[in-house]
Amino acid sequence: MATATEPLLVLAPANPGIVRLVGDTPGPDDAETLIRTLYAEHGRSLLAYATRLTGDRAAAEDVVQETLVRAWKHAGDLTTGRGSVRGWLLTVARNIVTDRARARAVRPAEVADVVDRPPVQSDHSESVVNTMVVMDALDKVSPEHRDVLVQLYYRGRSVAEAAKELGVPPGTVKSRSYYALRALRAVMAGTEAEVSR
Amino acid sequence: MNEHDRTQLGAYALGALEPGEVAEVDEHLATCAECRAELAELEEMKDFLGEVPPEAFLEGPPEGGDLLLQRTLREVREVREASAEPPMPVPVKRSRSRWLMVAAAALVVVGGALGGGVALGRSTAPPQATEPAAGYKEVTAIDTTTGAKMATTVEPRTGWSWVQVQVTGLKAGDQCQLLVTDSAGKTWTAGSWVVSEKAAKNGSTFGGGVLVPLDKVHSVEIRTLQGRHVVTATI
Ligand SMILES: [Zn+2]
Repeated sequence: MATATEPLLVLAPANPGIVRLVGDTPGPDDAETLIRTLYAEHGRSLLAYATRLTGDRAAAEDVVQETLVRAWKHAGDLTTGRGSVRGWLLTVARNIVTDRARARAVRPAEVADVVDRPPVQSDHSESVVNTMVVMDALDKVSPEHRDVLVQLYYRGRSVAEAAKELGVPPGTVKSRSYYALRALRAVMAGTEAEVSR
Repeated sequence: MNEHDRTQLGAYALGALEPGEVAEVDEHLATCAECRAELAELEEMKDFLGEVPPEAFLEGPPEGGDLLLQRTLREVREVREASAEPPMPVPVKRSRSRWLMVAAAALVVVGGALGGGVALGRSTAPPQATEPAAGYKEVTAIDTTTGAKMATTVEPRTGWSWVQVQVTGLKAGDQCQLLVTDSAGKTWTAGSWVVSEKAAKNGSTFGGGVLVPLDKVHSVEIRTLQGRHVVTATI
């Protein structure tokens, strides 16, 4: 996929889960590599999210396409952005969905088209940093802690279900979920220092 | 649960306990202020988690082929051919470090030789541009009522702006939000944070982005999450 002259994604040994794109001045191949890499790593997450927000697979694909193109155009901004690239992409996708919904809302003929779709949370749609800050914090807690939060919170599993899924006793799931929330709190408390430069 | 069993509280806060267990915890909470306080802190974290959609934890490419990828690549090629200038970041210096990018991703090493640079964790990431991007605006404002002082820098990005503030006169524990009002009068949130003790003493630095171009940025305000005005800078 990449040759020695293209940017490389290099695993950061001290911080698993975080990779870094390293290379020379971007050229044509870099753009293609960037898009391919983002698509391979974040495509499923982005498309699923956009599909839920739009309620329409075709519209969601358009949103993902535009999100990736924006990521390429703003590759320089990604370097200064806070939080993970995943958080950045999801935020941009959400903003695109919101902008399109607003644009449609001013054209009455198409309003009926959107009423029965899940509403976009407009109070969130303008916040650029929050999703990224929380994703960043989740990147900083241990994988065991992150896994248990994903199971219990994001997947809505019970302790027993999560225990089965993670292959640990239920008691461990309980204590881990407690320590995971404490760890997250510690990371969030330190976010201010991380955010400042 | 007759005695403190804090390890139950995490799963309780996340709504993952069985009904019988919930009843036990409820019974203890009714009599224990300490655990109630602890629970309140855990529930606050649960609210933070709500900022991230569940889809954020799906990995890999979309299912069902790469038509979407091909379409996207085609668009990128077309845009690139249409513009002589590569749509890359603000011209600082064409250096290698400019093209560093931190990405949270699956543990994947894309092929090729290690020709680029040294991999670093986020915590050791080099500071990006120490100078704000060209064309930035800088305003310092003092609020005589609240006593807060704020140095504000607004940097242009492509179609949006990066806002950086340095605020003194905040109290430790203050939950602040950075709000940007555009020239049409619409207010955007560029992020929120909690003031640490150190920051209360030395000044609190925070930055966030908003999808408002620099020339449309009218003012930058710090307000607490409880709605208390702290300081406003008119750009
Ligand atoms: Zn107790």
